[in-house]
Amino acid sequence: MKILIIEDEPALAESISLYLSGESYRCEVAGNFDQAMEKISGYTYDCILLDLMLPGGDGIQILEILKAQNKQDGVIIISAKNALDDKIKGLQLGADDYLAKPFHLPELAARVFSIIRRKQFSNSNIIEHHELTLDLLGRTVQVNETLLALTRKEYTLLLYFIGNQNRVISKNALAEHLSGDIADMLDSHDFIYSHIKNLKKKLHEAGCSNYLKTVYATGYKWEI
Amino acid sequence: MNKLLYKTLKPISIYALLVLLLSIPAYYFIVDQIWVNELDKHHYALRGKIESRFTKLQLADSTIEQTIDIWNKIEPGSVFTPHPTKNITKDSSYSVIRFDDYLQDREQFRCLSTSILINNKHYRLLLETNMEEMDETVMAISVVALFFFLLLLAGFIFLLKRFSGKIWQPFYASLDALKAFRLNSDQPIRFEPTAILEFNELNQSLQRLTERNINTYKQQKEFTENASHELQTPLAIVQSKLDLLLQDQSLSKGQSAIVAAANSALARISRINKNLLLLAKIENHQFEDAEQLDLSLLLQETADILAEHLDSKQLSFEMNIHPGVSVHANGVLLEVMLNNLFVNAIRHSPRHGNISISLDAGGLRISNTGTTGLEPEKLFRRFSNTSPLSPGTGLGLSIIKEICDRYSWPLSYSFEKDQHTFFIRL
Repeated sequence: MKILIIEDEPALAESISLYLSGESYRCEVAGNFDQAMEKISGYTYDCILLDLMLPGGDGIQILEILKAQNKQDGVIIISAKNALDDKIKGLQLGADDYLAKPFHLPELAARVFSIIRRKQFSNSNIIEHHELTLDLLGRTVQVNETLLALTRKEYTLLLYFIGNQNRVISKNALAEHLSGDIADMLDSHDFIYSHIKNLKKKLHEAGCSNYLKTVYATGYKWEI
Repeated sequence: MNKLLYKTLKPISIYALLVLLLSIPAYYFIVDQIWVNELDKHHYALRGKIESRFTKLQLADSTIEQTIDIWNKIEPGSVFTPHPTKNITKDSSYSVIRFDDYLQDREQFRCLSTSILINNKHYRLLLETNMEEMDETVMAISVVALFFFLLLLAGFIFLLKRFSGKIWQPFYASLDALKAFRLNSDQPIRFEPTAILEFNELNQSLQRLTERNINTYKQQKEFTENASHELQTPLAIVQSKLDLLLQDQSLSKGQSAIVAAANSALARISRINKNLLLLAKIENHQFEDAEQLDLSLLLQETADILAEHLDSKQLSFEMNIHPGVSVHANGVLLEVMLNNLFVNAIRHSPRHGNISISLDAGGLRISNTGTTGLEPEKLFRRFSNTSPLSPGTGLGLSIIKEICDRYSWPLSYSFEKDQHTFFIRL
């Protein structure tokens, strides 16, 4: 899968690229408007990460061009502005998602995963992951043939982990993914612990291998 | 009567009273002088006429004595006394107050004691004319003075009311404009030009002052928004680097703990920055569109979302929501406000504490257990409540206040029986 990172901050572009690369992703970086135009007109990407404020032009223009050329590339806008107007405009112009800076890399990865899956397997809503089968429409999970009774939060967590395989995810990132702004405001992230514990237990009882590992002090990891 | 008008009236009235009081003795002396002079002149004229008429009659001595005798008995106000020629005394004019048998009252008389020569014989002639007593004169003048004082006072009040009201009208207009002025409305004050120089100068100065204030305030708002925006990218970089660092397999336990601590602190910075940006956006009117929202429903939803956080702190929770309470507001802001209220209560409740929420058409009340009351005047100020025990952003209450202000919902705080209570009147 090819991902294009259009971001003028080299340090951030590098982080994203390093985090996403490996497994099945290959990342390219465009640091300004012209570079971005060159890349999108020459190649097709599975997902484009687009910063709206670019040297040499407005990121919105890139969206318009993609739309005009009827390209199917998935687009996630990553912007420092987090303005409602920008968000609405971006989504109207065909962007698939909008992520405000600062964000956690696992959050970005989960969204990239979700978009690529949608674009790639446009007709299928099933994710096959080793002995796990996730039905995204029905929001059901099966281990081999056993149906798991997961809560919404447990299901969300599982999907998040699968989108971030072999990556350590901090508790902060998990809390924010689960509770958004509210997690932001609460200083305790204890509530994640019980969700993880329950998820682990249910997976184990259904005979799933123990992929979900606790990483000392920092967070959790879905290790394949 | 207005304060300002009363201020002008008071010294003027006192001055008028003083002048009129001074005029009482002045009038008395003038009236008295004129009267006494006139009476003395009159007495001398009488004396002259009597003397010359007696002389013209050329009566015999005996007849004269008889006539004088009768005169003394009939004619009031004049008495002849025989007088030895040797010791003629000088004339004297004087005033006297004595009881008058005829009028049966104290009366004041002006007298002339003079000597008169009839048929070469000296008589002492005493002429008396009744005049108004001194105290009665003073009284009459005082009454008149008082009457004029009251007339003046009534006139002053009437004129002041009539003209001062007109003269000060631009001042009151400016005052009203100032009262209606809101710094965060971005609307500079517009004063009507007036015909009075001082008021124009005042208005111009006020206008300059408010314009400067608005500009400073705008710059400050812009600064906050720009600064927050500028911080987002470096924050994103630091966040991404920490997320990457976590992937390093060779991290020792100690290093992992350091990264975790840095992550928490960074989360707090991001939160503060986000909240500052949110405040700036509210102030910059970026949440203008409003709709009719079912507050009862939203509150219930917020409570559902937060249920697990209540559980994890083992808080007891009571909720009493009247269905169908709706408000006209921006959906995003209302949600932010409810979240902040709830989370604030959860954060600051001790483990096993309790939270209660009630909502009806009158307002929204949210209480939680606490140990000490907060200072109401500092409560809603930015960064005034950051405590080392529960480090928040120090902006949650400011945001609640800002949103309440936006919709003119009075927000109050009280602390009673170990319960912090926030009440929003709707």
